[in-house]
Amino acid sequence: MNPVNYLYLAALLFTIGATGVLVRRNAIVLFMCVELMLNASNLALVTFSRLHGNLDGQIIAFFTMVVAAAEVVVGLAIIVSVFRTRHSASVDDTNLMKL
Amino acid sequence: MSVPDTVHSLWTVAASSTTQTIPTPHIEYGQLSPMLAVFGAAALGILAEAFLPRRNRYWAQIGIAMAGLVGAFVAVVVLAAQGYAGTKAHLAAMGAVAVDGPSLFLQGTIVLIAVVSVLGFAERHLEPRSSTGAPVDAFAPQAATVPGSDAEKSAARSGFATTEVFPLTMFAVGGMLLFPAASDLLTMFVALEVFSLPLYLLCALARRRRLLSQEAAVKYFLLGAFSSAFFLFGLALIYGYAGTVSIGGIADVVSGTATPTPALANTTANDALLLIGLAMLGVGLLFKVGAVPFHAWTPDVYQGAPTPVTGFMASATKVAAFGATLRLLYAAFPGVTWDWRPVLWGVAILTMVVGAIIAVTQTDVKRLLAYSSIAHAGFILTGVIAMNKAGVSAVLFYLGAYSFVTLGAFAVVTLVRDAGGEATHLSRWAGLGRRSPLVAATFALFLLAFAGIPLTSGFAGKFAVFQAAASSGATPLVIVGVLSSAVAAFFYIRVIVLMFFSDPRPDGPTVAVPSAFTATAIALGVLVTLGLGILPQYFLHLADQASVFVR
Amino acid sequence: MNAYAPILVLGALAAAFAIGSVAMAALTGPKRYNRAKLDAYECGIEPTPQPVGGGRFPIKYYLTAMLFIVFDIEIVFLYPWAVSFDSLGIFGLVEMVLFIATVFVAYAYVWRRGGLEWD
Repeated sequence: MNPVNYLYLAALLFTIGATGVLVRRNAIVLFMCVELMLNASNLALVTFSRLHGNLDGQIIAFFTMVVAAAEVVVGLAIIVSVFRTRHSASVDDTNLMKL
Repeated sequence: MSVPDTVHSLWTVAASSTTQTIPTPHIEYGQLSPMLAVFGAAALGILAEAFLPRRNRYWAQIGIAMAGLVGAFVAVVVLAAQGYAGTKAHLAAMGAVAVDGPSLFLQGTIVLIAVVSVLGFAERHLEPRSSTGAPVDAFAPQAATVPGSDAEKSAARSGFATTEVFPLTMFAVGGMLLFPAASDLLTMFVALEVFSLPLYLLCALARRRRLLSQEAAVKYFLLGAFSSAFFLFGLALIYGYAGTVSIGGIADVVSGTATPTPALANTTANDALLLIGLAMLGVGLLFKVGAVPFHAWTPDVYQGAPTPVTGFMASATKVAAFGATLRLLYAAFPGVTWDWRPVLWGVAILTMVVGAIIAVTQTDVKRLLAYSSIAHAGFILTGVIAMNKAGVSAVLFYLGAYSFVTLGAFAVVTLVRDAGGEATHLSRWAGLGRRSPLVAATFALFLLAFAGIPLTSGFAGKFAVFQAAASSGATPLVIVGVLSSAVAAFFYIRVIVLMFFSDPRPDGPTVAVPSAFTATAIALGVLVTLGLGILPQYFLHLADQASVFVR
Repeated sequence: MNAYAPILVLGALAAAFAIGSVAMAALTGPKRYNRAKLDAYECGIEPTPQPVGGGRFPIKYYLTAMLFIVFDIEIVFLYPWAVSFDSLGIFGLVEMVLFIATVFVAYAYVWRRGGLEWD
């Protein structure tokens, strides 16, 4: 199978994630969409690694996974603290500061 | 059992060569010592947090943080004195970290910013004492408690303090030291996350107005994670284009001097990978510097975060992110200058104009300073666009000058208080000059430096970047820059007029007397602002010497 | 074909152990059933059917889960190192010890500040 197809899939997943961040309202769902974008990058990295025949891309994917996990922990901590205060995880409700 | 030669060499190894050795990597610990000192202090701070009794933590954390920062600064100076900023500049840690002039200059700047910021974080004289008589700082007594709950009240009564802010700050500083020095995109990405994640948390830790603070953290986190995902996908595309993520390797492939391989011939045939990848890396970096159209988070986060954190974030993040931007554009992608320059022209013009014009309508001091920081990002971008040696040194100088003005200005904001904490609404600042001339005069000095009035560091910085831009033929950009400086000067002067020429309100805020910590921080800000304004030559010369990238 | 023999032996041993332990438990263990034992196994949260409105999970579960994710994902760096351990030699060992020590700093913090206490 042509490895370029994996790149199309990666781009598609990234776009779905980015669109999700822009249109969804729930902070957790937004966050999941960001994770989808990171994983799309991982897929692209591994595919490029195969195309170029070097291992850099696979190593970068490892680092991305670790970074994503750290981001999950920090992000969930922040979102949970807001949820406990407001009993809502909707980003539309975080509107105390406006222009 | 014979392996066909056509099978990819990635996952098959000839059976006879199982004992092959990888050349042992080597790491130059001495040259990485600025970062190691800061990260070491951060880890030590975590251990202190774990094992020391609560009452000892505050002073221990300040001691550890200061020791780490002083050690890092000494290391930077020693490395620069040994010639790593000039002739001995090279890549350390297997090509992951560049030890060169821009790295060392920016690392020195960031460490000094961090010293001043830690002084601000340590301030405990401004908030009224807890009911047990313990002095408290600007951070939430216990971040996990729900605002307004009984648990929060009891934590506040017992005088708890979130001394974790010091290790968190040190982790952020360590990431910021690594970010402008990163010599491959992976190190850059990891450094980006290492300094961003602690900042997200620090934003959520304000003692007063915790809802605003948590909201700022959510906004900063979601948008920050969004932008770093863009950075990562850009990284993947550039890796796909060049087959490497090292700055030097990318530059070779872009300029066509790399050893051709079949895979490279295939991927470099498609410029879309390169251009889209560069654009996405740019989104990630421009978000961090707060350039329009990626600036939407800036005012909200600056307003909601605890003011000492805002000062730290506004100055140090900008220094680190502009350092990385410079390295990326000057060392990795000089081969496609004609592609990225027009885009950055547009971004710079938008950033200057939008920042200056929206700032005019602001009524909150912290939001005003946020929009002013957006406008300043635009001014610095004009220096980046210059794409010559003068551009690098001008940007380095501007970053140093701007960050100390910012630190000083936000430190002054922490002093003007009423019963509800800091009085940040501009109308409350009316007549401050009559009530407290010294503080008002200090703030006026910082505002004049923001505006770029001669004899302040702001003037020298603006002059340097505009000169660099003009020398590279970007005259229209300079004209827009001067015009938006004039608009910006209008609202800075308006605040000064408000402070000195209107009558103080009877229920106006009081100016708290700070401890030696904040006083030192503000004094340092004043000193650097005047020093770089009156004697810029020496520092411009230093920046000029430090303006060659290694790759 | 010889090269694959150890894999087959390992597979046979694993299967024998799995079947053997289940069989041993069924043959030798006491059989006293109660409600909890008959429930489907799910760690931390109540199994289905969930109460109306989704019910509430104890927040401790999420704290533990997050800690698990963080410490678990650090292992990812150990695999590539373990695979090439013999060729990286003493340098790799020293670096890995430094890495593990750093992870343990975080662990010490979690432990001392009560992050691991369930109640």
